[in-house]
Amino acid sequence: MNRDYKLYIIFAVIFLAAISIGARLVQLQIVEQKEYGSASDKNSIKKITESPARGLMLDRMGKVVVDNRPSYTLTITPFQFNKNLTEEIAALVGIEADDLRSELSKAKGTNRFNPVKIKRDLDFKTVAFIEENRDRLRGVSYQVESLRSYPVKYRASHIFGYNSEISEKQLSESTENFYRQGDLVGTTGLEKYYEKQLRGEKGSKLISVDVNGKEVGAYNEGKNDIKSVNGSDLHTSLDSDLQEYAEKLLGKRRGAIIAVDPRTGEILCMVSKPDFDLNVFSGTPDTKEIAKLFNDVDKPVFNRVTQTRYPPGSTWKMMMALAGLGSGKITTTSTISCGGSYTFGNRTYEDHGSYGSIGISRALEVSSNVFFYKMGVMLGIKDYHDYSEMFGFGNRTGIDLPSETRGLLPSEDYFNKVYGVNKWGQGLMVSLGIGQGELGVSPVQMVGYVSAICMNGQYNVPHIVRETYNSTTDLKTLVELKNHKIDFPQKYFDVVKKGMYLVVNGSGTAKNVKNSEYVLSGKTGTAQTTKGNNHSWFVGFAPYDEPKIAICVLGENAGWGAQFAAPIAAAIMVRFLSGNTVDAYNENAGTEARD
Amino acid sequence: MNKKFFERFDITLFLSVIALITIGIFAIFSATQSSPANMDYYLKQMSFALIGLVMVVVVSYIPPRYISSLTYYAYGLALVMLVLVLLFGKTINGNKSWFYVGGFGIQPSEFAKVATVLAIANFFYKGEEDNPKIKFLDILKSLSFVLVPAVLIKLENDTGTTLVILSFIIPMFFWAGVSPFLLYAVVTPVFAVVLAFIDINYFIVYVIVVAVSLFFFKRHWIPSVSILLLNIVAGLSEKILFSKLQGYQQNRIKAVFDPTSDPLGSGYNVIQSKVAIGSGGLWGKGFMQGSQTQLRFIPEQWTDFIFCVIGEEFGLFGAFVVIFLFLIIIYRLLNNAYYSRNRFLSIACVGFASLFFFHMFINMGMTIGIAPVIGIPLPFVSHGVSSLLSFLLMIGIAMNTYRHKDIFL
Repeated sequence: MNRDYKLYIIFAVIFLAAISIGARLVQLQIVEQKEYGSASDKNSIKKITESPARGLMLDRMGKVVVDNRPSYTLTITPFQFNKNLTEEIAALVGIEADDLRSELSKAKGTNRFNPVKIKRDLDFKTVAFIEENRDRLRGVSYQVESLRSYPVKYRASHIFGYNSEISEKQLSESTENFYRQGDLVGTTGLEKYYEKQLRGEKGSKLISVDVNGKEVGAYNEGKNDIKSVNGSDLHTSLDSDLQEYAEKLLGKRRGAIIAVDPRTGEILCMVSKPDFDLNVFSGTPDTKEIAKLFNDVDKPVFNRVTQTRYPPGSTWKMMMALAGLGSGKITTTSTISCGGSYTFGNRTYEDHGSYGSIGISRALEVSSNVFFYKMGVMLGIKDYHDYSEMFGFGNRTGIDLPSETRGLLPSEDYFNKVYGVNKWGQGLMVSLGIGQGELGVSPVQMVGYVSAICMNGQYNVPHIVRETYNSTTDLKTLVELKNHKIDFPQKYFDVVKKGMYLVVNGSGTAKNVKNSEYVLSGKTGTAQTTKGNNHSWFVGFAPYDEPKIAICVLGENAGWGAQFAAPIAAAIMVRFLSGNTVDAYNENAGTEARD
Repeated sequence: MNKKFFERFDITLFLSVIALITIGIFAIFSATQSSPANMDYYLKQMSFALIGLVMVVVVSYIPPRYISSLTYYAYGLALVMLVLVLLFGKTINGNKSWFYVGGFGIQPSEFAKVATVLAIANFFYKGEEDNPKIKFLDILKSLSFVLVPAVLIKLENDTGTTLVILSFIIPMFFWAGVSPFLLYAVVTPVFAVVLAFIDINYFIVYVIVVAVSLFFFKRHWIPSVSILLLNIVAGLSEKILFSKLQGYQQNRIKAVFDPTSDPLGSGYNVIQSKVAIGSGGLWGKGFMQGSQTQLRFIPEQWTDFIFCVIGEEFGLFGAFVVIFLFLIIIYRLLNNAYYSRNRFLSIACVGFASLFFFHMFINMGMTIGIAPVIGIPLPFVSHGVSSLLSFLLMIGIAMNTYRHKDIFL
């Protein structure tokens, strides 16, 4: 056979195949076009995303503290929407027509086929109007969404956090293909930290719809639908009574309170003031009020417990004692002579008293400055840094809240960078020894540090969520605790704890808050600041023998530690230990005891 | 550029390929804009098309004897890659046929197709005579060239590409000069299997037709009866083997030939794809306006089901343009094969033409419900780097054939 014949045979085969495809296409696209066209129009299938209910938050008693309430959200599908209706719809739900236009123009490409969320929290009258005018208002619809509500008598704004509409930037950066324009996403607090658990998994429903977007019924009897999975509930360790009490005590002051169960690291209460009403962010966000919050010089949106660093003042002294013991610079029986002042180089550093030769416990009890000036110099920057780091300073604790600060723990590198190599001297160590100078700690770091001390070196990082529970899958997931162990001999902790005991129960700076029922212990601190009055600190734990609560109270520019922070801390510890029955707070218990 | 340049540069083929790739990029763009994770696929396709087109020009200049002498190395390399991908490859959509290198998936099986065609062409190249004496043993040897990669690809669980690799063997035998009787002996049992699968009555009629037609070959009775027996055994053994399969395995095979038997699996795609194409009408719904496409009824439409984007958004007109471009490409490949005095390249071009034809026919056929649903791409139109580059490599060799049509080797 020559090539000509072969070619003809091959051409014949190809021709037949091409004819069969062409004929079939003509059949589908010309002869049966009407049928398929209406199948695609009238019976086209719409994929509806089913938003799962966001997980709830519960307190330690299992009471719901962050709840969902159903609400109607207006949606518009740009592809179907008649632009002439823009003014009418905007007026109907009370927004500017231009805002509506810009919202719709954001949906490009295929998003034009998906409903865009326009306004949340519609009233029932509006929903009824949309329902009655469905044929005329093509592409206009509504979805049932759940919005946050807070059935509690306190705010806990910084713990719970709020959700807000996902920004275009977040949307373009998200690689998960989960979020759509208009979706709510956790922005602060637990809402943000546990976003993945809280949000659940979206489902989808295939629904047959007619040309007007009216739903005709489930496609394929719902066999292709994917059920949504509700978000997991967060079971927190929050003690609602204590939280309410602590918020009341801090009142209108600027400051922070955090209390934990040192045995587990569970956070019992956490207050940052000023705070704000989370409802401002729920539903239709109150933009005026939100702008006010963000412009406020007192920064109410900021969580002072985890996001701010302060010099710790005298509450730092236990750290110095432990660093001295750990590095072998002193022993539990060492004494240091403490005159009324300390001279280093050509500068003299003052103390508020002269105590003679004293040991660690006594130095803590009276809050001697000279003892710890000397301690700072003895340690030197390396040991100072390394031992403080062991107790969690200079690093994030790992609390389950977003945007935690590391604080500031100076090191040799740090000083070399700030001042230049060999351009700084040991003089810096003097103030660092009493928790002043270039040192910054956050209240959550402080409560971790107190936990470490009262639990003799073995403690868990403070955390709020105990476990997550998913109601759809019935799956419980325990939150993994971050455990720390500081390998010191027991006597190191004993001598430091003894000092903290004497602060309250001896002749110490906080003897005025001594409680007859419960043995409280702790340490006051008064941190000098460059702006305004001193910061008032108190860190402590109780009962002394078997600690059940560890606490850190900070009052910004509130004066002496014994004046503001100590009475509040004492009252909260007593409140908790008494099973939330006793109110031991005495506003006048504060003294100007110098520390 | 003067007239002389075009005597050596197959401009028709080159421009048709560019036109097809361009249509493909528009279709990919339209199909991916509703899927945020895949939105940039058209850019990927575009950049690799540019790289590939440069490669086409480069390949067209390589002296044919180099290609011939490299063929077996390329074939060996392809086999090694197929083994490696079985051991270390990544599984996507149930096929373990991918390597992942720097974010790009590479499918060795796509390149194995080209290497296999070249290997067979090289095997049959034995001087310049057009119809040399090809013995039965030669057929068995050349079959082994196909069977080794076919088995390896089947082990990857990629049925589509396995069938593809079997598709060009008959046309290549035919072009190389295997006698019609031998071809008949090879082809008829395959049809016996297919018909026996569809209906036992078809099979019985078919056996009678084979018996009668054998009579017309007027060969010795021993080979004639052997072929008839081979047909009967092939058909019956298919029946027996099939009955031994598990129910779900049977269903899966049935679904390939009859999508409606599996309405939630491959049937769902075919039903949706028919609605998409049918609703497109004569002129289509317009670019980016196809509701079926934009609402993503068909998963991963930018790969195997890309033809229904064209059908829906560009209508019968668009579909015919695409078919027309394919026919030009196939015509040019055959034309180059016909005029080439280089038997190696001539046979290879026929192999490539069969590959294009098979891909086009099966791929379009499955979207309009007249061919089994096996996942193979539409050349130059479907998104996929490996497929794009391997088809462009074939074009490069076909352009080479055109350039060197007067040189024996």
